[in-house]
Amino acid sequence: MTDGGGRGDSPADKAREDFFSEAQELVDGMSRDLVLLDERSRQGKSDPELVNDVFRAVHTLKGLAGLFGAARMSAVSHELEDVLDDLRLGKIDLTTRVLDLLFQSVDLYGRLLAAERGHGPEPAPEVEALLMALGSMMGQQGGQGASPATQYDLDPSILGVLTEYEEHRLRTNIQSGLFLFRIRVQFALATIDSALEELKTKARPHGEIITYLPTGSAGDAESIELDILLASAATLDVLRQAIEGPNVAIEEIRRRTALLDPGNAPSLPAPAHHSLPPPMSLSPPTAGESPATVHPSALASDRPAPVTSPSYAPGGLDLSLRSVSQTVRVDIRKLDHLMNIVGELAIVRGAILRLTDRVRANPDRVDRAFGMRDLGLELHRLHRTFDRHLTQMQNGILEVRMVPLGQVFEKLARVVRQISREHDKHVNLVITGAETEIDKLIVEELSDPLMHMIRNAIDHGIETREVRMAVGKPPVGTIALNAFQKGNHVVLAVEDDGAGMRPELILSTAVRRGLVSAEEAKELSLREVYNLVFLPGFTTKELATDLSGRGVGMDVVKTNIAKLGGIVDITSEVGIGTKMTITLPITLAIISVLGVEVAGHSFAVPLASVEEAIALDESLVRSFEGREAMTQRGATLPICRLARLFGLSEQGPGEPDQASPSMHAGPSPIAEARARRRPQKPCVVIASVGERRLGFVVDRLIGQEDIVIKALGPSLKGVRGLAGATELGDQRVGLVLDVAALMEEVLASDKERLLAHEGRA
Amino acid sequence: MPATNRRGMTGTGPGTAMRRAADLGRRTEYLAFSLAGEAYAVQIAHIAEILKPLPITWVPRAPRNVVGVMSVRGRLVTVIDLRRRLSLRESPMDRRTRILLADLGAEGASSGGPHQPHQSEQIGLLVDEVMQVYRLAENEIEPPTVLGGDQPAHIRGIGRPEGALLILLDLRPLLAS
Repeated sequence: MTDGGGRGDSPADKAREDFFSEAQELVDGMSRDLVLLDERSRQGKSDPELVNDVFRAVHTLKGLAGLFGAARMSAVSHELEDVLDDLRLGKIDLTTRVLDLLFQSVDLYGRLLAAERGHGPEPAPEVEALLMALGSMMGQQGGQGASPATQYDLDPSILGVLTEYEEHRLRTNIQSGLFLFRIRVQFALATIDSALEELKTKARPHGEIITYLPTGSAGDAESIELDILLASAATLDVLRQAIEGPNVAIEEIRRRTALLDPGNAPSLPAPAHHSLPPPMSLSPPTAGESPATVHPSALASDRPAPVTSPSYAPGGLDLSLRSVSQTVRVDIRKLDHLMNIVGELAIVRGAILRLTDRVRANPDRVDRAFGMRDLGLELHRLHRTFDRHLTQMQNGILEVRMVPLGQVFEKLARVVRQISREHDKHVNLVITGAETEIDKLIVEELSDPLMHMIRNAIDHGIETREVRMAVGKPPVGTIALNAFQKGNHVVLAVEDDGAGMRPELILSTAVRRGLVSAEEAKELSLREVYNLVFLPGFTTKELATDLSGRGVGMDVVKTNIAKLGGIVDITSEVGIGTKMTITLPITLAIISVLGVEVAGHSFAVPLASVEEAIALDESLVRSFEGREAMTQRGATLPICRLARLFGLSEQGPGEPDQASPSMHAGPSPIAEARARRRPQKPCVVIASVGERRLGFVVDRLIGQEDIVIKALGPSLKGVRGLAGATELGDQRVGLVLDVAALMEEVLASDKERLLAHEGRA
Repeated sequence: MPATNRRGMTGTGPGTAMRRAADLGRRTEYLAFSLAGEAYAVQIAHIAEILKPLPITWVPRAPRNVVGVMSVRGRLVTVIDLRRRLSLRESPMDRRTRILLADLGAEGASSGGPHQPHQSEQIGLLVDEVMQVYRLAENEIEPPTVLGGDQPAHIRGIGRPEGALLILLDLRPLLAS
């Protein structure tokens, strides 16, 4: 998806775009290197070249960040660079703790980039926590006596710019037992002098202002934001009363020493387990791969993390793997191919021009040597050539949009490492089909749902090591991520060898949380039961963890996948494992559709989900409990009358129920005439998405067409069942059905259908 | 040529207009149109274009006010029947029917999600007839309360240029629901 019309093409915007794509690539590369580094270090090897690569990436990022005024990114890069430099020079060892910090910084880079783009808040506390941790990493190793100021949660960027006198005052104040406060205040530029004086006067009775610094993040051009460092014996409440104003925020800068107390320390990944499962391996786990291999030096220096801000939750729920880059890297050969097609098209244009000239030269009389028949033949030939090249062009451009799924998988490998570590479960991620290509747009939208699914698999699926051993499973759990192309769809499966899902547990939870009633619960099929986990608010965990169990996540998975026109299915076996399958269309841009007519309105059904279309034989239709089904080749096929679903009168063409006064919004005159001329011959368009099938009853088939699909505007976003619209030849707009959503709706349980109706009303 | 040049409808040359504006203080341009026989107006700054009706495709399950969607030079536009929105009498389209292409600007459209970065949506407003552009000074606008106590948020006021009476609509609240 492009960023819409809002972004211009000015050189500055262009440069910013380049910044994002380059930074994103660097971060991705860094992540890859770190995964490798992690793997090597667990095999007891070191790889100076990899460390150098990471160092170089960080160095370049620092430069980029400086150029584009991304201050936090620049600060992180600076600190990282120092750590990496020490690492490179052998001053510190590559411990798990160091690696953790490096992985954290990759996540943070992603979020910083997203924030720069305006896709989320600046992760300020996390940055400060990481800076602190990085700083301590070096301080710890270097054995330098810590200044009293470093015991406080102070922004290093402030500490860095204190004058000698200010630092001295800070130290003195801290030693005399005063508290530190940060006052963040916004001043209008016009009145800053008097306003600052006023604030100073108010603050003076309560303590000493050590320094004030502009934060550089004022809301607009007319104001400036200052951070004021105040040392005071008063409490926060007293100060708030004395100084608080409309643009003033006061907070206490806490002493970090409290966090050194293990009881208060945030639950960090237990350092006792140096042995991590390999985060990514392309082969099934080998039996000999013992998870107990430890780098000897890791044992010595792998102390619990001394400091970490309590607000920093690595791998928290807000973590997003989405890349901020909207750039696609293209193999130059693909572009050459496109260029050649353009060349071919130019030849066609030349031929048309020659033909035109020839006809225009003799407009009135028929050329004896070149009659109408020849003209027709020639035009036909040109049309065919043109058509062929256009199709090639179309396919070529689609191909350019395609990227291998491996791009997401690499990021997931990082997530698995992190999550399994936080959860102290050993997981082996086995990836197959990373080379499967899919539209860039889909890849971006896919990363977060996949992350949620994997998180879910680790948290709920994979058992602890002890439990696994007890039931005779290999101690290391396996999550298999498998992708393959199936016709016009890509199938992605996330499979774990964990505990599986217990239908009765899901049901009782759903009933307890009021998602289904006890009576409904009895009538659900196994598939419907599994699908309950996709309902918002569903969780079987009594205690929410950082990872999952808050009841968000799986509904996000379902919504995101549905947005892409895909479908999620779950199969599970107790004690064996769970498999979630995502079926997605390969591309969203240009699709082949089957035109159908319903009560005088035309709709387009994406051909990718059409199995076949047959004439409707009403005698084969059976109806039960308001649902209809017919027998087709010995199997039951649920059917849905589109006219009824869309509230159109079923008997031939006519006005929709909500009669439209406009002459254009009704059935087209041509369609009406056509319908009068011959009797209705209803057809059943059999659609299938994933394992599900449904027959749509329509009045007439129109034919097949390739269309460019466009999204309906935000004002119609509440309309379910339509994937978008397309412009037809005669300036009319044709609506494209969202087969997956309609199928979902029709096949859903009554409860869900009820909810859907309420949502629309 | 589906678009009508809105500048052409002011009737006064720019010179006169500017002189008058200078004489009478700040003025705002309003585009007046009729709905079920009544005169309404919206700020012309919010109207990007005036279109003769294009083929409109009915959208199933759309909100009641939505007539359908049409394509304006390849861009998909949702068309709203202002008469239906204001619960007025509806009549069939005729040769005077026009569609006003309203563009509320980036901050007006609530963006769908992180991946629809503040993209403004143009909305087509179906009106019975476009009348003319009025340049209203502040003292020619009466507050909506003259119509009685509680007026809906989309009524901005009553415009009274040269004896005429215009109901001034505020498009944002009008299209928000």
